[in-house]
Amino acid sequence: MKNSWTGGESACLDSPEDGLAVAVHRREAGAFERLVERYESSLYNYAHGILQNTFDAQEVVQDAMVRAHRALTRQYDEERCATLALRPWLFRTTRNLCLNRRRSKTRELERPLHEFDDNRLGPFVGGAHSDLERREETELLRRALSILPVEARELITLRFMEEMSYGDIAKTVGTSEAALRGKVFRSLKLLRDALEKKGVAHAV
Amino acid sequence: MRCRNVLTRIDALRTNELAAGEAQEVHEHLGKCHDCEESLNDVVALARSVRSIAIKPPKSMRASLTATDRFDVVDAGGRPIFVAFSNRGLRMIHTGSSEEEFRTMYGERFGRELVRGALPERLRRQVAAAVEGEGVDRPVVDLEGSEFEQTVLGILTRIPRGEVRTYSWVAQQAGRPKAVRAVGNICARNVVPFVVPCHRVVPAGGGVGNYAFGSEVKRALLEREGVPVDELEEMAGKGIRFIGSRTTHIFCFPTCRDARRIRGDNRVAFHDEEEATKKGFRPCKRCQPAAA
Ligand SMILES: [Zn+2]
Ligand SMILES: [Zn+2]
Repeated sequence: MKNSWTGGESACLDSPEDGLAVAVHRREAGAFERLVERYESSLYNYAHGILQNTFDAQEVVQDAMVRAHRALTRQYDEERCATLALRPWLFRTTRNLCLNRRRSKTRELERPLHEFDDNRLGPFVGGAHSDLERREETELLRRALSILPVEARELITLRFMEEMSYGDIAKTVGTSEAALRGKVFRSLKLLRDALEKKGVAHAV
Repeated sequence: MRCRNVLTRIDALRTNELAAGEAQEVHEHLGKCHDCEESLNDVVALARSVRSIAIKPPKSMRASLTATDRFDVVDAGGRPIFVAFSNRGLRMIHTGSSEEEFRTMYGERFGRELVRGALPERLRRQVAAAVEGEGVDRPVVDLEGSEFEQTVLGILTRIPRGEVRTYSWVAQQAGRPKAVRAVGNICARNVVPFVVPCHRVVPAGGGVGNYAFGSEVKRALLEREGVPVDELEEMAGKGIRFIGSRTTHIFCFPTCRDARRIRGDNRVAFHDEEEATKKGFRPCKRCQPAAA
């Protein structure tokens, strides 16, 4: 398998925004509905990644959408809407609401993303053949993710579930792309460690 | 390039997000280093697995996000009353001047648009009754706000027509006796006046207090309901807060239906709860003055 994967994984291409923010600003019929349709699942999954609670995730997304509508129709002028990077902006709004909610709910100390060694990352899931095995793997993966530090959960959600580019993630969480690469890799290491403890990851 | 620099770049390489020169260097390293190459394969496999555990929102969420709130105009003796409502109930009532003003106000408060719709008959009856100063039993409302806010609004709906309570009494009833100012703010923010009769809450020190439509309107509303506003102010001036009956030995808020039946020599005034209890009077169960 000689690098046949590059180019094959063009998943991270962010969809063009095709003037959606401006359409919402102008209150065009169906524009806000289109925005909701396009982003509600992603924002919900993201909020859930951070909060690990479906009820809270739903409330946060509803709040984020109300704020987005208010900002686009009343607070921002057309020029600002035209130049707005809508996707990271929506994720950032959702993120702030999630973090506020976490702060008010828990006093849990965050473990910082620690340094990693230079060893091979290691395979994550292996050898699922039946549906049952696949379901078990999925469940273990969910549980492993749920015990990671919030920053790692967030990055894995954005990068691997939402398939967001490094550029957009950097805009969402407010960091440089270079720093982000390190953090994403450390998050992967943590996930891999968590899976190994649960006996899913097989060393090959 | 060293292994650790390669490892932090393999994921960006996977999606072609590295600059050409950087990508070239990583490729060269991968050609020579088995561990790093395998790590790339691990990331590719992981990306696939993790993608499959993304969760979807409940179907009901879309409906509530894109729900369009509607509005209608109710005629109240020639005066237009603007009413916003959803499928779940009343959302805003305003005796404003124009449709545009109402829509702007609603948008600023809730970040949503209003479209013209027909107010369901049941809601229309409730609004009409409330605007006339009649009590509305179990108003159908769809209000936002914190748990405390909801509790306070619920308490307000139970203050009978023609009676008033104090802000501190409401705070006490809501379980947060110190939150008097918060209760005042909630009353001021009340988007469904009349239906949730915030005009029936007054300061303990006398006067009718603030109102979104002005103190004069509040006074007029209370007088229309039969609240003896002048008499109350006179009492407040003398520091009188409760009225008791010598026959029953029960004390009340002055506007309590029971208190207003007490005549002549049977009537006794109290400055506070302590004075009443000391003289052997019990608080009325209906108006619950002890929680003032
Ligand atoms: Zn290497
Ligand atoms: Zn009474």
